[in-house]
Amino acid sequence: MIHVAAIPASFDDRGLDQFAQELGQWPPPERLLVDARGTTWASPYGLVSLLTLGQAIAELGLPKPRLAVPDSDDTRGYWGRVGFFHHAVEYFDLVGKIPKRGADAATDALLPVTRIAAAEDVHEVVGRLQEGATRILTSELKLEAKATMGFAMALSEACQNIVEHAGTGGWVAAQTYLWRRRLGRKVAVIAVSDAGIGFRRSLEPFEAKKVGDRWGDGAALESALLHGVSRFRIAGRGQGLAGIKRYLLRWHGKVSIRSGTARLSVLPDWDDDVPLAEHLPMFPGSQVQITIPAQEASGR
Amino acid sequence: MRERIDLAPILKDTVATAYCDLVTRPTGVTVRQRVEALIAASPHPTAQLDFGSIGLLDFSCADEIVAKLLLNHADDRPRFLVLVNVTETQREALDHVLEHHRLTVVALSSDGARPWVLGWRTPDLLAVFDTVTRIGPGDAGRVADALGWTVERAADALQSLALRRLVQAASGTYCPLPLS
Repeated sequence: MIHVAAIPASFDDRGLDQFAQELGQWPPPERLLVDARGTTWASPYGLVSLLTLGQAIAELGLPKPRLAVPDSDDTRGYWGRVGFFHHAVEYFDLVGKIPKRGADAATDALLPVTRIAAAEDVHEVVGRLQEGATRILTSELKLEAKATMGFAMALSEACQNIVEHAGTGGWVAAQTYLWRRRLGRKVAVIAVSDAGIGFRRSLEPFEAKKVGDRWGDGAALESALLHGVSRFRIAGRGQGLAGIKRYLLRWHGKVSIRSGTARLSVLPDWDDDVPLAEHLPMFPGSQVQITIPAQEASGR
Repeated sequence: MRERIDLAPILKDTVATAYCDLVTRPTGVTVRQRVEALIAASPHPTAQLDFGSIGLLDFSCADEIVAKLLLNHADDRPRFLVLVNVTETQREALDHVLEHHRLTVVALSSDGARPWVLGWRTPDLLAVFDTVTRIGPGDAGRVADALGWTVERAADALQSLALRRLVQAASGTYCPLPLS
């Protein structure tokens, strides 16, 4: 038997909830066929989350899922250019025509899909982002030099969460694109996803008793993002997410973290998302999205 | 007299990377341990950490290197720390982590402008620090005269500066740290 889970046409943070619903029971009791044939657009968040799904299934020792690649040449081409297929072949049996991409092929991404497993990987992505993305961030998003450094800092701290807390590897990607409907402006997005133990399990030994009956994925996210709680009981830990929040507040950005069945966001005034969404369909690991809008003259 | 410690070569020895960013906690721990060894071996009471060739400094590294260096100060002999060639972005990361620990440090930007007090501070602390930096060594009476304060208020602020190792204190005289 095979269970078919369709990826929505537009696969972003909201599309992931829809896709998680399609997955049904976790872990999946049957082999999965992930159907992306109708997908015409995917954000970095969608792509790194999809790799996380494949990785989580592999780490559970379950049968390798199949992935039917998008029918659209443009969509397939983009997924190829940002390096998605390069990593996906490890976790999925790909069904459909895959564009060829050399290891050093040109990409229009701020940061192509990159594996994060160790501190050295964080050094590499931070360096590469600064090397390649500063011009785009300053010219297209009108970010000041200080803000582009902050963007790299946010990337560093988000990636370190994988290395320090997930207990396994993860993925990062960054891209700029136009949010025509949501914002009417360009945005830069960092998406980080891991197939690890998630915030609830990471903080449970220290926080569950303190929080009591409300303890769950949502409460764990609140502890980490709003109260700076870390599983490391050492003064000074937990400052990474606090630093990201501080940076985003200053540049009118948004951070959103999904873990298990909950998603917590720190919202700017331009976003109509709910701060805390609970009882979402289960998705493995943790997903972080950091969004910086192009700066308006009055907002700088 | 001071010991100048350039962070860039220490970073290069620590991580195999083409970039010069101080990021991640493991990197910060290793760099700090190297800095601690250099400070321990130095005959000079003041160490200057040079950020000149460093690009990005993230919160984790700021915490592991600077905050922990200040927290781990051994009490056997007085040690002073000055950060030099600090950029505006690095300053923000340092400010954030030091405030969190209620720690304070003196820093200089690369343009050699007046020194900053980074981290936890009060208006009195800042005023007295600026005065000592401007007028040079002196006692509480001299600082009180310069600020138009009572001697008690100036003495309290100077004592706080000395406890935070932002000035050197000896026999009631307070000296600015060597910044050049």
